[in-house]
Amino acid sequence: MIEFKDVSKSFKNVDAVKDVTCEIRDREIFGLLGPNGAGKTTLIMTMATVFRPTKGEIVVDGHSTITDPDSVKQLIGISFQDPKYDRILSAREILEWHAKVTGVDKVTRKKRIDEILEKFGLASEAKKRTWMLSGGTKKKIENAKVFVQRPKIAVFDEPTAYLDVPSRLMVWDMIDELRDEGSTVLLATNMMDEADRMSDRVGIMSNGEMVQVGEPAKLKGTLKGRDVIELKLEVPIQELTAEMTKIDEVKDARFEGQTLKVVLSNGRELLPFIINVVNAKGGKVQSVNLKEPSLEDVFLYYTGTKLA
Amino acid sequence: MSTKPSPLFVLWVLIERDLRTLIRSPWILINRTAFFLIQLFVFAALVTKMTLSSLPFNYFDFYSVGAVVSTITSIAFIIGADLFEEEEMGLLDYLLSLPLGHSLFVLGRALGGAVRGLIYTAPMMVLVAYVDGYSSPVGVLGSWLVLFVLATGISGLSITLAMVIRNENRFDVVIAMAELATVRVSAAIYPLYYIPAAIQPVAAYSPVTATSDLIRGIVLGFPTGLTDVTTLVLFVAVFFGLGSAFLFRKIEGGRFE
Repeated sequence: MIEFKDVSKSFKNVDAVKDVTCEIRDREIFGLLGPNGAGKTTLIMTMATVFRPTKGEIVVDGHSTITDPDSVKQLIGISFQDPKYDRILSAREILEWHAKVTGVDKVTRKKRIDEILEKFGLASEAKKRTWMLSGGTKKKIENAKVFVQRPKIAVFDEPTAYLDVPSRLMVWDMIDELRDEGSTVLLATNMMDEADRMSDRVGIMSNGEMVQVGEPAKLKGTLKGRDVIELKLEVPIQELTAEMTKIDEVKDARFEGQTLKVVLSNGRELLPFIINVVNAKGGKVQSVNLKEPSLEDVFLYYTGTKLA
Repeated sequence: MSTKPSPLFVLWVLIERDLRTLIRSPWILINRTAFFLIQLFVFAALVTKMTLSSLPFNYFDFYSVGAVVSTITSIAFIIGADLFEEEEMGLLDYLLSLPLGHSLFVLGRALGGAVRGLIYTAPMMVLVAYVDGYSSPVGVLGSWLVLFVLATGISGLSITLAMVIRNENRFDVVIAMAELATVRVSAAIYPLYYIPAAIQPVAAYSPVTATSDLIRGIVLGFPTGLTDVTTLVLFVAVFFGLGSAFLFRKIEGGRFE
């Protein structure tokens, strides 16, 4: 378990992280959401003992980052947002060195590096100096460091930035595998689809503060009255708007052309009832569309700003 | 999951990183070697002819040792610039996030710089022993050891300067001046008694002078003594200690901010 206890980190006059308190459970994928500059990377670097917190403490698997940083570092592997390695070296050299310094034994090291290079389609480029490779390939090598290391706590900072769709899907699967093997994953991202698909829970950061933590579905559920049901009718029936507003959960109802738009809470559960009301008034439904709040809406709601 | 590697293994892996990057930069090696060879076989040979009658020893032999000492001094100074570059590229964040203690990291960086210098100059040292007609492998190894000690101290000095000077451009200027002063205000490439009287006392106690004298003592049988050993050991103790302490303090204080 990772416990952030009232953690703050300031750089001169800038408060990069402010009073963050939260827990990351064992074997969960925790999505850390926030725009650039929200404090995600600073929080990660503080957890990794690269930065010393200005205030508070982080405890990783019972080891404090302040009093026992060496034990903490033993548990963590980080894939940085911008690839960080010696670009004069080849992918194989980088992975070998990383695995060696993180204590992966020789036989396992060789096996894992071969597998990962093959999986990422890098086998033929494994001996090239990495500065010659594309941005996406460099990012794959950065991610590969953690996949070769297989640490107890794996941190991925924007793991799919610069990657094409097939590579993104593969990285997501590999992160899932890592968790299934027992790793706890901290996934910092500003891609909402990634956070939604991958995370068991998410933490939303804004201006250095952790403004909300919870499961994506539950956080979406906190946005009452944000569901929208769109019913396209053969012929619009104006009195339906009045009928709809009689329902407690409905906030608003109006026609836009042939389409009746109903803004409400618990749209999924109320959908059959709404259709029954329409049918009862003689309406003939041609199509139905239910829109629920996205994680992006959740983010907007809690921070007042849009991502990206 | 992985196991915790031993401190000695980690230290070796850190040094290995410097060696890997060295091997991947053959042009730097070629450039330095070419410079060394030209200086030795053109410059030193020429000056030797000019000074045949005025010097009580062969200048070519004298210079050949000084050239190796000067080269390792220049190479050992590079470590400070590496630290700046590593910080600029974010590599330092990566290195500090790895499962190695800060003290090991500091030791590894300083020793890595020294070992790299030693590897650069190993073929030069062998060549010098050959052209000077010296054939004892033990003596060559002894000279190598003295070079290693100097390189460790110079690495410490370079790290100290990198930690004290926060601006990279300013550091580049200071390091160039420091390198120039360390090599030129010494008896590496010219005899001490030809150095202007005002700076002669400084040159006499320069670690580069001490190293040159010690190696000349081993390879050429020149006079050397306890003063040279003391000067070199003191220099290394002070700057290796200072460099390590400064780097350690920066890291412990929360990296370079």
